[in-house]
Amino acid sequence: MRNHPSPPGALSRRSLLAGGAAAAGLGLSGCGSLATSLSDQTVVRQWNLLAGSDGAIMTDMHQQFMDETGIDLKATTFAWGTPFYTKLTMGAAGGNAADVATIHLSRLESLSPTTLMDPIDLGELEEAGLRPEDFPPAMWDRCFSDGELYAVPIDTHALVNYYNRTICDQAGVLNDDGTLLETHGVDEYFDLLRAVKDVTGEYGTSLDTNAGWRQFWAWYRQQDGEWAFHEDGHELDDDKALAAIQVMWDMAEEGLCPRVSDGGQTAANFENGAGGLVQVGNWEITRFRQFDETQGLDFSMTEMPDFFGNRRTQGDSHSYIIPRHNLWSDEGRRATLDYISWMLQHSLQWGAGAGHTPAYLPVTESAEYQALEPNAEYAGVSENVQYDPDVWFSGSAAPLADRVAQVLAGVYAGNTTPEQALDAVKAEAQTLVEQPNPVD
Amino acid sequence: MTAVDTRPRTSKAKPRPLPRKRKRITAGSALVYISAFFLALLWLVPFLWALSTSFKTETDASLGQPIRWLPPEWSVEGYRTVLERGDHVTWMINSTVVSTIVTVLTLVLCVLAAYAFSRLEFPFKRTIYGVILAGIMIPPQAIIIPLFDVVSSLKMVDTYWGLALPQVVAPVMIFILKRFFDGIPRDYEEAATLDGAGHLRILRSVILPLSGPILAAVGIFTFILSWNNFLWPLLVANDPSIMTLPVGLGVVAGGYGLFYAQNMAAAVLGALPLLIVFLIFQKQIVRGVAGVGLSR
Amino acid sequence: MMTTDTQAPDAAPTADKPPSPTPTAVKRRSWTGLWFVLPFAAVYVVFLLWPMILGLYYSFTDKSLTGRPVSWIGLDNWTEAFGDERAWQSLLNTAEFTLYSTPPLVILALALALLTHRARKLGWFLRLSFFAPFVVPVSVVTMLWMWLYQPDGGLINHYLGAWGLGGDHLWVFQEHAMGSVVITTVWWTLGFNFLLYLAALQAIPNEVYEAADIDGANWWQKTVRITIPLLKRITALVIVLQLINSLRIFDQYYLMAGGGTNLSPEKVAIQHIYEMGFTGLRVGYASALSYILFVFILIVAIVQLRLLSRKED
Repeated sequence: MRNHPSPPGALSRRSLLAGGAAAAGLGLSGCGSLATSLSDQTVVRQWNLLAGSDGAIMTDMHQQFMDETGIDLKATTFAWGTPFYTKLTMGAAGGNAADVATIHLSRLESLSPTTLMDPIDLGELEEAGLRPEDFPPAMWDRCFSDGELYAVPIDTHALVNYYNRTICDQAGVLNDDGTLLETHGVDEYFDLLRAVKDVTGEYGTSLDTNAGWRQFWAWYRQQDGEWAFHEDGHELDDDKALAAIQVMWDMAEEGLCPRVSDGGQTAANFENGAGGLVQVGNWEITRFRQFDETQGLDFSMTEMPDFFGNRRTQGDSHSYIIPRHNLWSDEGRRATLDYISWMLQHSLQWGAGAGHTPAYLPVTESAEYQALEPNAEYAGVSENVQYDPDVWFSGSAAPLADRVAQVLAGVYAGNTTPEQALDAVKAEAQTLVEQPNPVD
Repeated sequence: MTAVDTRPRTSKAKPRPLPRKRKRITAGSALVYISAFFLALLWLVPFLWALSTSFKTETDASLGQPIRWLPPEWSVEGYRTVLERGDHVTWMINSTVVSTIVTVLTLVLCVLAAYAFSRLEFPFKRTIYGVILAGIMIPPQAIIIPLFDVVSSLKMVDTYWGLALPQVVAPVMIFILKRFFDGIPRDYEEAATLDGAGHLRILRSVILPLSGPILAAVGIFTFILSWNNFLWPLLVANDPSIMTLPVGLGVVAGGYGLFYAQNMAAAVLGALPLLIVFLIFQKQIVRGVAGVGLSR
Repeated sequence: MMTTDTQAPDAAPTADKPPSPTPTAVKRRSWTGLWFVLPFAAVYVVFLLWPMILGLYYSFTDKSLTGRPVSWIGLDNWTEAFGDERAWQSLLNTAEFTLYSTPPLVILALALALLTHRARKLGWFLRLSFFAPFVVPVSVVTMLWMWLYQPDGGLINHYLGAWGLGGDHLWVFQEHAMGSVVITTVWWTLGFNFLLYLAALQAIPNEVYEAADIDGANWWQKTVRITIPLLKRITALVIVLQLINSLRIFDQYYLMAGGGTNLSPEKVAIQHIYEMGFTGLRVGYASALSYILFVFILIVAIVQLRLLSRKED
């Protein structure tokens, strides 16, 4: 009998694909992965979670990168959040996945860099054209784990406030120069929303009720709220947290914002005029611009409104990391670093197109970038941005943010009172604290 | 006792139930026909609506546009974008390769084992058969965690083998095949044995020719299950160039997101291969699926 | 054999083991048989048995997906699992899904099969409509339905609104997405049960209706008095398969209501295991959870089989 299963790994997927395709009588054309495996071009496999409209900008940049360098870049966008991070960890655990991936800098520690990622040598980085002093020091420090560099940041992004000029003009909430009136405190901002709601007939502002974590953290941090985590517990400032949650409750209760609205719906509400403002990430700018081109939408954007005395906002930094590899080819590794460097050096486009604030200082400090509109109007976000709490289950799309967002969706929906929500948030955090840490 | 069980090939000869001769159209049967027709139509609505959306322009397809069953302006832009991105074709090839490996291996391994259990005596036969049958009770979903670890330590993550081999373990197919082989009279083989034929030859020249329908049934059933398997490929295929169609469509966002015409074009293309196969081989598939289903 | 021939389920002796084959010259005891069994057995051991054992071992360790060294932690995972509210909630949700989805999947399948059997001239069309969804990959199914379910501007809400039936449902886009997933599941998987019933119906010989025909019984009476009782065994089979399948729900739930930016706090059991193991990196803990789920499915399967076999006796 010659029917024993082949020894594991004896047949690589490529040779098998070749065999399978040949057996199926398929020619080489029409089979992407087969074609690339046969060409001499260096391939860099990049994974990202930019499923929003900023993804389109990245795709354009990638095309340009390929044309310029001759490196074949295979980029894959996964569904944002947990699905992406799960794939990333499993791929890295298998050691055979992406060459480079984008993550949120706040997630670095939760991804166990020491076992699931390859460290980046400062020497090779410099060879590729990037130096430590090209980055804001505070951000750069977050890229290290255990004394090794694991991430290279590309931007800062944050929740901002978009406004529909046509509607806001009718509502009388614009300055003479066409910018949005600056408000101070919850009451003033609610008045503004009421005026806008009168015009739209539906909502004042549209916001993603599934992304309550972002709003919570922004408004909690506007009050200087701290959230400390330690071995067996955590300390949340009840009064400040409650004040932040109360804003959500009141806003939805009065119909100033939708009760339930996911990301797509939120953006659609702004486009079709159901809301005169929308509080989402700066990355949606691409989508709104596209809509403006096809159907007309006169909008601009500004920083997070002042609810509690300042304009702090929740945000994060997209960063490149290198997942663990079973093996590297020299030119593959070099091409990967070249890619990272190229993207950073061209991040003006990233800022202009996707609305992000580039992390690479030579770009941000350039006169060209300083003159960009509407980026200048919300330039303050990079100082006001608040990263998520620093604990292993926290960060963008990590369990803490997810679970708090779930609770807060109930507040927007009117099913959970702010007091109940506060208790639930604290209980969720306690559960997470009590979980054994799988990372170290 | 064995009268029905031992004529595997006679299925075709089985007389179909006689059609009713009465041609009278009663109110009752008219009602049956009309309601059946509309229910079937209703059942097709998700397909039809997707088809309609997929041929619209993105603007016409977007939310907030009035519901129109026929695209006001026909466009194949959605299909073009999906196909140009290329992933879709890769996934389709991967699905074909993986499902074919799974089906062929399942058939070969299960036929060999089932033959042995049916016809041969060997040490530990009962124990082995018992252990294998016990496997029917293990839901594959309950072992994904350690299975991923095993496949990972065999360095099979993101390989066709890693995708296919765990799906080959289908003890129920051994049970079905063995029961079928048990029903084949031994007289045929005895003649062959007297001729000095070995077991492989008996299997090939006596048993298999009598087993066409059951092999087709097991094969079709395995292929469909494997083609539509989601959970395991979701775990083991991380690199998009190795993903199968269901996983690729499920996890790779690829910019579809908010473009509904494109999205539905991808869905239609994803549904198409097996639907076409089903249209062509409707009879065989219906028989195969019902056959294996009923045997469990 | 039932497989291709589809006899009347009650007539065929399928449930019992066929009589043990009489020993013949062919059947001398030798090692040859082992060689025939070996290929399957090898795959079986490596990809089913071994993981099963490994999972048990991991459940007593703090094994992490990150690949850091493993240490033995005794019963910690198990005590945590029994106190894990989310785990129990996910089991309850799974039970809820099973409870909602099984009746329509059995009853509706039977009804549609009866209808199809009656409306013979439309047979191919009906079979096509009702069975076609079953051959469609789950991610396509969820794509189609997410599109239908869109709260603003989706097809379903549009018609509900137009017919004065509401039209402002949030479907999967809400905390309680279960009902919507059940509807989608019924649409997707009903075809399988439908086919089983149809095959069973076609296998009922016409003669059994002769007496009733003479008595002048109408279709409905014949269906209730003769057909459905004849389908008893197949119904039992369908219910068992359906229960076990429903308990393993993951795919469509994960795709429609799990993770990403679509928040649904309700998880089903396998989803919770998946998230604990692969998102939360805790392989050891997720292994313990898997075992608990496994035991539940096993109990349900055994109880079911017991009940059914008693009924038949």
